[in-house]
Amino acid sequence: MIAITGVAIEIGQALLVLLLAPAVVGLIRWVKARLQNRRGAPVWQPYAELRKLFGKDMVVSPNASWIFHAAPFVVFGTTVVVSLLVPVLITPLPFNDVADLFALVYLLLLGTFALALGGLDPGSSFGGMGSSREMTIAALSEPAIALAILSLALAAGSTNLGEMAARTVANPSAALSPGHVLAFAALFIVMLAETGRLPVDNPATHLELTMVHEAMILEYSGRHLALVEWASWLKLTVFLVLAANLFVPWGLATSLTPGALAIAAISTLAKVAVLAVAIAILETRIAKLRLFRVPELLAVSFVLGLLAVASSFSVR
Amino acid sequence: MDTLLIVLLLAPWFLGAALSTAIRPYRRWVGGVIVGGGLVSVGAASALWLTALTRPAIGAGALAIFRVDALSALVAFCVSVVATLAMVFAPQPASMDRDDRRPARVFRTYGGLFAFAMLAAVTVNNIALMWVAIEATTITSALLVPLHRSRASVEASWKYLLIGSVGIALAFAGTVLAYFAFVAVTADRGHAVDWALLASVAPGLNAGVMRLAFVFLLVGYGTKAGLAPMHTWLPDAHSEAPAPLSAMMSGVLLAVAQYAILRWKTVVDSTAGGAAFTETTLLALGLLSIAIGALSLVRQQSYKRLLAYSSIEHSGLICIGLTFGPAGVLASLLHLLNHAIAKSMSFLLSGRILARYGTTDVLGVRGLARTMPVTGPLFAAGALALMGLPPFGLFVSEFLLFRAGFMSGHIWETTLALVLAGIGFIAIAAHVIPMVTGAAPEHVTCGEGGRWAVVPLLLCAVALVVLGLAMPWPVGALLDHIVEAITV
Amino acid sequence: MDRVFEQVSVLGASGVLLCAIIMLWRRGLTAYISALRWQSNVLAGLTAAVAYFGNDRDLYWVAALMVALKGVAIPRLLTRLSQRVVATQEVEPFVNTATSLVLSGLLVLLAYTAARPLLELSTAPTRAGIPLAIGLIFVSLFVIISRKKAITQVIGFLMLENAIALLAVLATYGVPLVVELGVFLDALMGFLVMQIFLYDIHDTFNTLDVDVLSRLKH
Repeated sequence: MIAITGVAIEIGQALLVLLLAPAVVGLIRWVKARLQNRRGAPVWQPYAELRKLFGKDMVVSPNASWIFHAAPFVVFGTTVVVSLLVPVLITPLPFNDVADLFALVYLLLLGTFALALGGLDPGSSFGGMGSSREMTIAALSEPAIALAILSLALAAGSTNLGEMAARTVANPSAALSPGHVLAFAALFIVMLAETGRLPVDNPATHLELTMVHEAMILEYSGRHLALVEWASWLKLTVFLVLAANLFVPWGLATSLTPGALAIAAISTLAKVAVLAVAIAILETRIAKLRLFRVPELLAVSFVLGLLAVASSFSVR
Repeated sequence: MDTLLIVLLLAPWFLGAALSTAIRPYRRWVGGVIVGGGLVSVGAASALWLTALTRPAIGAGALAIFRVDALSALVAFCVSVVATLAMVFAPQPASMDRDDRRPARVFRTYGGLFAFAMLAAVTVNNIALMWVAIEATTITSALLVPLHRSRASVEASWKYLLIGSVGIALAFAGTVLAYFAFVAVTADRGHAVDWALLASVAPGLNAGVMRLAFVFLLVGYGTKAGLAPMHTWLPDAHSEAPAPLSAMMSGVLLAVAQYAILRWKTVVDSTAGGAAFTETTLLALGLLSIAIGALSLVRQQSYKRLLAYSSIEHSGLICIGLTFGPAGVLASLLHLLNHAIAKSMSFLLSGRILARYGTTDVLGVRGLARTMPVTGPLFAAGALALMGLPPFGLFVSEFLLFRAGFMSGHIWETTLALVLAGIGFIAIAAHVIPMVTGAAPEHVTCGEGGRWAVVPLLLCAVALVVLGLAMPWPVGALLDHIVEAITV
Repeated sequence: MDRVFEQVSVLGASGVLLCAIIMLWRRGLTAYISALRWQSNVLAGLTAAVAYFGNDRDLYWVAALMVALKGVAIPRLLTRLSQRVVATQEVEPFVNTATSLVLSGLLVLLAYTAARPLLELSTAPTRAGIPLAIGLIFVSLFVIISRKKAITQVIGFLMLENAIALLAVLATYGVPLVVELGVFLDALMGFLVMQIFLYDIHDTFNTLDVDVLSRLKH
C-alpha cells in the first residue's frame, strides 16, 4: 500500500525534474556559448521560450489528422511517467514495483514512436525524412540502452532500477569495476543518440537536411511545440539523472526525512550539472557524424554494453 | 668434449654468416669457407648422433642452456646436412659486378643465420628460447625469399612473413599458457622452464589449461610446419624462393616445426585426458593437410609448387603418424629423415632445371633425360621417392606408418590417408614423367654442366636407397632411443 | 589493497581491449597508429602497476621497454612509413565497421568461455582480466584477417603481440626477464623486417592494397 507521503514524494520528484529540465538545457547552451567565446543567453532563457510558445496561436497543416494533435501529449505524458520511475531523490521509490528497466525502455520508445508519427502526419517531406532517421537511430539505440543497464541488473540480480542503485551504494568499490565503467560509457553514447545531441544530431542546426529531431517537429507551433520541446528537454534531464544516480548513487535518500531529501536534491542537482557541462564540452569539441556512420557509433555502444554484461557475468 | 661438439655444431654457421657480411664485395673463397664450416658442423652432428646412442642426453657443461638428446641429434643432423648442401648450391655471383655479387653475399649471410637459428631451436633446453630461435628462423628466411625481386616473390614473401609471424605469436601464447599452468603447480616463477623439468611436473598440470595451450601451440607451430589450414603461405614461398632456400625450408624447417610439436605433444600427453585430445587435433589437422596437399597436386602447373604441395602432404603424414603410438612415432621420425633428404635433393635439382630451361612451368620442361643426363634421372628418382615407391626410404617409412595406423586401430583414418596418398602418387607421376621423357625444346642446351656439383645430390639419392633397402644400425638405434624416451 | 589491485588490473585490461575496439571503429591510418600507441602505453602502465602491487622489480624494466619500443619508436616509424606511402583513399575493409564491432563483441564472449579453465586455476588478483586478454588475441586475429591494407595488417600483428604480453602479465606476472628480452628483440627485428617489406611492396606494386597481392593462385 503506497502511503500518501510516498505519492506526494513521487509527484514532487516528477515536478522537480519537470521544472529543472529547461534549466539543464539552458546550462548546456550557456556553457557552449562561453566556450565559443560568446556571451550566450542566460540559463533561464528556455523558460522564457516556453512561456512565449504557450501564448502563441497554432498554425496547423490542413493535412494533419488527430495523430498530429495527440502526439505531443503522448510524448510529454510518457516522458513524465518515466520521470516517475527514475530514482531522482530516494531509493527505493514509492512506486518501486513498476520502476523496471524494461518499462523505462519501452516508455521511451513509445514516446519516440508517437513523435515520429506526428512528424509523418502532416505529409511534409522534411517531417518524413526526420521521422525515418529518428526511427533508424531508435531501432539501434534501444538494444544498446537495454544492454548497458542490463549489466547493472545482472550485478544487482534484478531489473528494478531502485535496487540497482541500492546495490551500488552498498558496494562502493564496485563503482570502478569494468562492468560499471563500460556500462556507463555505453549509456553515455546511447544517451547522446536518444536525446539528439552531437555527434548524432545537432540541436542548434538551421539546415533542414541535417536535422533529425528538429525535422520531425518542424510543423509544430504554439502549445504543441512547447509541449514537444519541453518533453525533449525532460528526456535529456531524465537520462542525465539516470546516468548519475545508477552509476554514482551516493547522496540518494534512503529514508523520507526532510534532511535526507534535501541532501539528495542537492547531490542530484550537482551530478546533473556536472554531466550537463561535460556534454557541453563534448559538443564543442566534436563534429556531427554523417548519418551512415551513426550505426557504427551505436555498434560501439552495443559492444561496450556486451563487454559490460560479459564482465558482470564472469565476476559474479 | 660435449661443449666442444655443441660449439662445433652451431658456431660454423654463425661465424660463416659474420664472415660473409664482413667481406664486401663477395669473394668466392668465402663460399668455400662456409661449405667447409658446414662440413665441420655435419661432423659434429654425426658425433652427437653417435653419443646420443650411448647416453640419454648431452648437456653442455659450461653452456647449460643446451641439451642434446636423441631427438635433437636426429633433427640437428638433418638440418646441418641440408644446410651444407644448400650452401654448396648457393647462388654464385653472376659476374664481377658489385651488384651482381650481392645476392651471393646476402644469401650466405642470412642463410647462415637461418641454419644457426634452426640448430639452436633443436638444441636449446628452454621452451621459451626454442620459441625465440624459431621466430628468428622466420625473420631470416623471410628476408631471403625475395632474393630475386619480382612481383610474385614480393607477394610470396609478404604472405610468408605475415602468416608465419602470426603463427609464431600464437605459439608464444601457447607457451605462456603452459608456463602459467607450470607456475600454478610449482609456484616457482624464477626458474627457466626446460623440457626435463616440464616433463617431470606434467602429470600435475591442469588439463583444461594445457588443452587450450596445445591448441595455440599446434596452430602456431603447425603454421611453420605447413599444416592446413594455415598452409597458404607455403606453396608461394617455397616456389618463389631460390632453390637452395626452398630446400632448407621444405626439408628441414618443417622438420624443426614438427620437432617443436612433438616435444609439446609429449608434455600434453602426460596430463589427464591430454593424449586423447592431442590425438584428435593432430589427426584432424594431419588428414586435412594430406587431403589439401594431395588434391592440389593434381592441378599444378609449376614443378616447384608441385614439390611444395608435396611437402604439405608429407608434413600431414608425419603429423598423423605421431598419433599412432610408439610404432607410429618411429615411422614418423624415419619419414622426417627421409623426407628431408628427398625434398632437399629435389628442390636443388629443380634449381638446376630452372637455370637450364628458364621456366618453372611443367609444360615447358620436356626431355630432361636427354638434356641433363644426370640431373634428369636424379629428378625422376626424387619424384619416385616422394611418391613413396621402393627402393627409396620413403616407401619404408610410409609402410611402417600405415602399418602402425592399422595396428593402433585407426582404420578409417589410415585408409583415408592411403587413398589420398595414392591420389598424390598419380598426380606426381602424371606431371613428372612427361618432364623427363619426350623431346627437348629447341633453345635448351644438352649436356650436364658443372659435373662435380651434382655429386652431393647423387650421394643423397644413394642415401635414400640405402635407407630404403636396409635400416642402418645407427639410424635404427637412434630411433629406438627416441621412442623410448618419449613414450616412457 | 588486493581489491584495488584487482580493479586496477581489470580496468587496465579493459582499456587495452577498448583500444583495439576503437581501432575497429575508426578509419584512417593516423587513427590506427594512435590507437596502437595508446594501447601500448596503457599496457605499459598496467605492467608497472603489476610490478608495484606484485613486488616484481623486473617488470618495471619490461614496462619501460614497452613504452620505448611500442609506445614511441614503432608508432614513429609507422607514421614515417605512412607519410612516405601516402594512403590517398581509405579503403573499406573486407567486413564493414558495424559488423566488425558486433563480431568483436561476440569474439570476446567466446574468449570468456574459452578462458574458463584459466579462471578456475588462477588465484592471482589479476585473474579477472585474463578473458579480456584472450579476447584481445581473437580480436587482433580478426583485425589481421579483415583488413585490406598491408600496413593495417602489421598494426593488427603488433596488437596481437600486445595481447599476448597482456596475457603473460595478467596470468603469471610476466615471464622470466631473459625470455622477455628475447621476445622484445624478436618483436623489434620482426617489425623492422616487416617495415622493409612494406617499402618493398610499395615500390613493386605502387600500393599497399593486399587485394593486389593475389597473382599466385592455388
